[in-house]
Amino acid sequence: MPVVSVKEVSKEYKLGKTIVKALQKVSLEVEKGDFVSICGPSGSGKTTLLNIIGCLDKPTEGTVAIIDQAVAGLSDAQLSELRNRSIGFIFQTFNLIPVLTAYENVEYPLWILGKGRKERHKMVLKMLKEVGLLEHKDHKPDELSGGQRQRVAVARALVTMPELVLADEPTANLDSETGGAVLELMRKMNREFSTTFIFSTHDPKIMNYARRIYRLRDGRLINGESEKNNEK
Amino acid sequence: MRNSFFILALRNVFRNKRRTTITFLAIISGMVGLIVFGGFVEYSFWGLRESTIRSELGHIQVYKKGYSEKGITNPSKYLISDFQKLEELLYKIPYVELITARLSFSGLISTGENTLICKGNGVIPEKEARLASFEEIIEGEGLFEEGKEEGVIGCEMQKSLGAKIGDYLTILTTTPSGMMNAVDIKLVGIARSGAKDYDSVFVKLPLSVVQRLSLTTKVEKIVILLDKTEHTEEVAQRLNLLFKEKGLDLELKTWHELAPFYHAVVRLYNGIFRVVKVIIAIIVLFSIANTMTMSIFERVKEIGTLRAIGTKRTGILKLFLWEGFLIGVIGAVLGMITGVLVALGINLCGGIYIPPPPAMTKGYNALILVVPGVLWYSFLSTVVVATISAFYPAMRATRLSIVESLGHN
Ligand SMILES: Nc1ncnc2c1ncn2[C@@H]1O[C@H](COP(=O)(O)OP(=O)(O)OP(=O)(O)O)[C@@H](O)[C@H]1O
Ligand SMILES: [Mg+2]
Repeated sequence: MPVVSVKEVSKEYKLGKTIVKALQKVSLEVEKGDFVSICGPSGSGKTTLLNIIGCLDKPTEGTVAIIDQAVAGLSDAQLSELRNRSIGFIFQTFNLIPVLTAYENVEYPLWILGKGRKERHKMVLKMLKEVGLLEHKDHKPDELSGGQRQRVAVARALVTMPELVLADEPTANLDSETGGAVLELMRKMNREFSTTFIFSTHDPKIMNYARRIYRLRDGRLINGESEKNNEK
Repeated sequence: MRNSFFILALRNVFRNKRRTTITFLAIISGMVGLIVFGGFVEYSFWGLRESTIRSELGHIQVYKKGYSEKGITNPSKYLISDFQKLEELLYKIPYVELITARLSFSGLISTGENTLICKGNGVIPEKEARLASFEEIIEGEGLFEEGKEEGVIGCEMQKSLGAKIGDYLTILTTTPSGMMNAVDIKLVGIARSGAKDYDSVFVKLPLSVVQRLSLTTKVEKIVILLDKTEHTEEVAQRLNLLFKEKGLDLELKTWHELAPFYHAVVRLYNGIFRVVKVIIAIIVLFSIANTMTMSIFERVKEIGTLRAIGTKRTGILKLFLWEGFLIGVIGAVLGMITGVLVALGINLCGGIYIPPPPAMTKGYNALILVVPGVLWYSFLSTVVVATISAFYPAMRATRLSIVESLGHN
C-alpha cells in the first residue's frame, strides 16, 4: 500500500491573462518507509508538488491519496487533522514558533493532537534526544543555530509518529556540512521509525541521500518511473 | 491541562514591546478617562443628593394623611397635632438621627418702605441648625433660640429690601380661619443657599413664632434625618408599619419622591457619561484592532506554519481571541491601578473646580469618588471590547491561504 499516491495531477495558476502550468499530469507513488527526493531547478514545481502532497494546496486536476485516503472530499478541519496526525513538515526556513522554546515547539503538534501531559513529556524528550538537543530544550529559536533549529524542526515533524514527512528544500538555508548532518538525521529517523520521507532539493549532493529520485522539469516528471539510487 | 493557545497568546502579547506599550497606553488612557469621569459623576450625584437631603428635604418627611394630594391648595387643613408625642415614638426607630418639624406660610415682608412676597418656614432652630448645613449664613448669625421673634432671610431678598442686620421687619400673613395677622421680627441673619430663586423669597423663623402668627399649635411636616442615605427605604417601611399598627393618620414621602430635580440631573449625567463611554470604547476598540492587525500581518508565515502542522481554523481564532482577551485583562488591570492613582491624586490636590451651575451663585470643588461599580464597569468593558476588537483580525487570520502564508516573508 503506497503512503502517497498522486495521479495525473496538474496545477495551474492564472497570472493576469497568462496561465502558468506549475505541474502537468504528474503521477507518482511512494511506498511506506521510502526515502525519496524530488529534484529540479528553480521554478520546476517542487514546492507546488510537495504542497499538494501535504494537503496544503489543491490540484487543478488529478487526485491525491494519502495512506489510501482520497484528499479531495475532506473539509478544512479534516485536512488539518490529517496533517497533524499523519504528515510532518520540515521547511526551508525552519519555521519554528519564535515565542516557544525548543521543547514547546516540539510539544505543539502533540498538544493539537490532544495528548495528555505525561505522554507529551515522554515523546518530546525522546525526540529531543534523537536529534541531540536535549540540553537546548529551554532555548528559544533565536538562541539556536540554523542547524539546531532545523533539528528541532525534524523533532517537531516526527513527534506525532506520522507516516509521512515532507521537507521542502530543508538544507537550502544551511551550509553543506550542516545540511548533510540534517539529511543524516532524517535518514536515521527514516530507518528507526520507518517513516516515509519526501524531500525536495536542487543540490546534487543532497539528492544523493535519497533512495529514490524523481526529477521535475517545467512541471513534468522527466523520469516517470523514478530512479533507484543504487549507492544507498 | 496546559492550554498552549493561552501560553502562545500570552507570549505574543509581550513580543513587540513597543507596540504593546502603545496599546496598553491607549487602554490605560481610556480607563483613566472612565474612572475619573465616572468618579466625578458619582461625586456629583452624591453631593447633589446629600446637599438636597441635608439642606432641605431630610430623608423622609411625614405629613397628615391627604397632605400630598390635597394639601397644596389648603395646607392648613392637613396639619399634624401632637408633634412632641410623635417625636418620642419616632426616635425609637433605628438609624434616625434627627427629627424636626416645620410649618410654612406665605405672605408679605416689609421694612416699612419696601414690601416683598415671602415664603416663610417655621423651624426648630437648634435642630434645623444641624440639618441645614448647606445654607450658609453670610452675615449675622443663624436662629438660635426657640420662641424669640427673630428671623433669617435670603441674601437676594435682603438686597431687594435694603434691610440691615438688627432692623425690624413686619411679616403679614393670613391665618387658617381667614384673618390677617402680623408679627414683627428682628433680622438676625442673612443666608445664601446658592439657588437664586430661593434666596430671594425665603424667610426662616422659629416654629413657635410661625405657630403664633398662624394661630395654631400644629405642624405641617415632620422631617426625619437618618445616619445614612442607604437606610431610607428600610426606615420608610418601618414607619409605614408603625402608622398602621398605631392607627396613626399619617403618610410619608422619601427624598426620592421629593427630589425630581435630583433624578433629572442623574438622567442627564448618565446620558452624557454613556456618550463618553461609547467614545472611549471606540478608541480602545480601534487601537486594539490596529495592534492585532499589525501583529497578524507580521506573523503571516507563522500562522501558515501553525496551520500546516495541523492547527485548525478555530485554533487560530482561539489564539488571537486569547491575545485580545489578555491585552484587555492586562491593560485593564494597569488602567485600573493608574485610574485610581490619578483619582486619588486629583483628590489630594483638592479636586476639580467646577464653576457655578445655572441658577446657582457659587462654584465648588468636585472630588473623584472611587466606587467599585465604576471600577468593575470599566474593567469588564475593557476586557469585552478588547476581545471583540480581536475578533475581526482573528477571522481574517483564519482565512489566510496556507500556501501563500508559508511563501510570505
Ligand atoms: N501563487 C502562484 N501564482 C502564480 N504562479 C506561481 C505561484 N506559485 C508558483 N507559481 C509558479 O509555478 C511554478 C512552480 O513553482 P514552484 O514554487 O513549485 O517551483 P520550485 O521548484 O519550488 O522552485 P524553487 O526551487 O525556486 O523553490 C513557477 O513557475 C512559479 O512561478
Ligand atoms: Mg520551492
